[in-house]
Amino acid sequence: MERSKTYMNSYLAGILIGVFMIGAYYFSGEGLGASGALKAVVVTAVNDVNHEYAKEAHFFKARVQNEEESPIKSWLIFEILGVIAGAIISAAIAGRLKFEIGKGPNISSRTRLIFALIGGIFFGVGSQLGRGCTSGMVMSGMGVLSLSGFIGLIAIFGGGYIIAYFFRKLWL
Amino acid sequence: MEEVLYVSGKALPHITPHLEVWGSVIALYLFFGGLAAGLLFFANFFYLKGKADSMPMSVKVAPIIAPIIIILGSMILVYDLHHWMYFWQLFLHVRMESPMSWGAWTLSAIMIPAILWSLSYLEDTIEYLQNRNPKCKLIGLFIWANNLIKKLPVLPWIMVLFNKNKKLIAYLTIYLSIVLGVYTGILLSAFNARPLWNSAILGPLFLTSGVSTAAALIMWLSNDHSERKMYSKIDLFLIAVELFFIIHLFMGMLSGGVAQVEAAQLFLGGPYTAMFWVLIVGMGLVVPAILEIMELSGFHIPIGIPAFLILMGGLLFRFIMVYAGQASGFNIL
Repeated sequence: MERSKTYMNSYLAGILIGVFMIGAYYFSGEGLGASGALKAVVVTAVNDVNHEYAKEAHFFKARVQNEEESPIKSWLIFEILGVIAGAIISAAIAGRLKFEIGKGPNISSRTRLIFALIGGIFFGVGSQLGRGCTSGMVMSGMGVLSLSGFIGLIAIFGGGYIIAYFFRKLWL
Repeated sequence: MEEVLYVSGKALPHITPHLEVWGSVIALYLFFGGLAAGLLFFANFFYLKGKADSMPMSVKVAPIIAPIIIILGSMILVYDLHHWMYFWQLFLHVRMESPMSWGAWTLSAIMIPAILWSLSYLEDTIEYLQNRNPKCKLIGLFIWANNLIKKLPVLPWIMVLFNKNKKLIAYLTIYLSIVLGVYTGILLSAFNARPLWNSAILGPLFLTSGVSTAAALIMWLSNDHSERKMYSKIDLFLIAVELFFIIHLFMGMLSGGVAQVEAAQLFLGGPYTAMFWVLIVGMGLVVPAILEIMELSGFHIPIGIPAFLILMGGLLFRFIMVYAGQASGFNIL
């Protein structure tokens, strides 16, 4: 457990996230989010390729109606850019900045990447059905005492605990 | 009733209210031009400093990229022309007052030392790659090219002449590379109808940005620790100069006429604000600068991260300048 010395205390990190959430609501009027940024990228790409389609399609409609402003100009995009820059800098300070694929000892990098992609697709679809991901729905939602945030918490983490049993071989 | 017919320049499609003539191809070409200028500048500069053997990446290996991207840039430029079959006419005219003519001639002139330079170090490049990266697929191509050159009739004789006068040629190439780097900016600033471009600072700003992207690329490719460290320092200095120029670009515009103030407003509250300050100044200049300062003070940073950010920042900078410049204009008239 030598490495854990370089990680921040998780209770302190949790409190900091809460503080940032208050700041985010105060300055931007929106909470924190991650899948929303990806959604903005997808919506912008579809809108640029085929604006007529994006205007009609249910999933894209709401975001592309204002033709003056590009859907990419969203607070979440800038938040994610900040997350990337901050992650690089804090990992460098902790001396852990390097390119690697985090995986269990008994599987190949290839297997890990394939399963990560499958998991990512599931989570992406799920986050759109649930209108937000761990940060966008659960954290930001619970921050404003929204019921969906609490249900999302139970669903995401409870589901994770149950499903993890079947995929434990990937990590053991 | 008498009818009055107005004929006005304002009815020109693609020119008013916004110029819509230049697209991403021009931005990419300006990026390649600046990058090639920087690569050639560093190669010749460190050669003259007598560091050909201690800094092999910058003097011997990296310059081979320069002619390739110049050719690539020129090809996409020709593709962008409306009547591209007539592109050769540019090489039959010399127009002292046209920066485009200067650029075309500089580009053609610098191609000669750029190609001969990389050919003269082709054997060193092959050796360098075989030592550091024996799996590199380019080695076979370079060996084939090297054998081909030896069979050609006049080229070996030219190479002897080139190697004999290398020092003189290096001085000339440094001069030409600076002209090329400045030209990528002057090309835009010669448009006096586009107030965002029409600033004398654009030439040095594009030169600095181009040299800085070249430093980032060499830093990324180099395996040598001291060479990397040196480029980290050079890059930090260039980023500082770039920020200085950017601030002065806006200071100059804000103290100018209404059209200039309006042009500056595109970046200070207008539609390009977020992209310029967050992506170019933030992610393309400030974050890599922080990472390089951290690296110089002993933290371990994979060099690819700041290098990639600087290269992307440089590319985006040219895109945004090409597009925002066309959006600016003397709209008040």
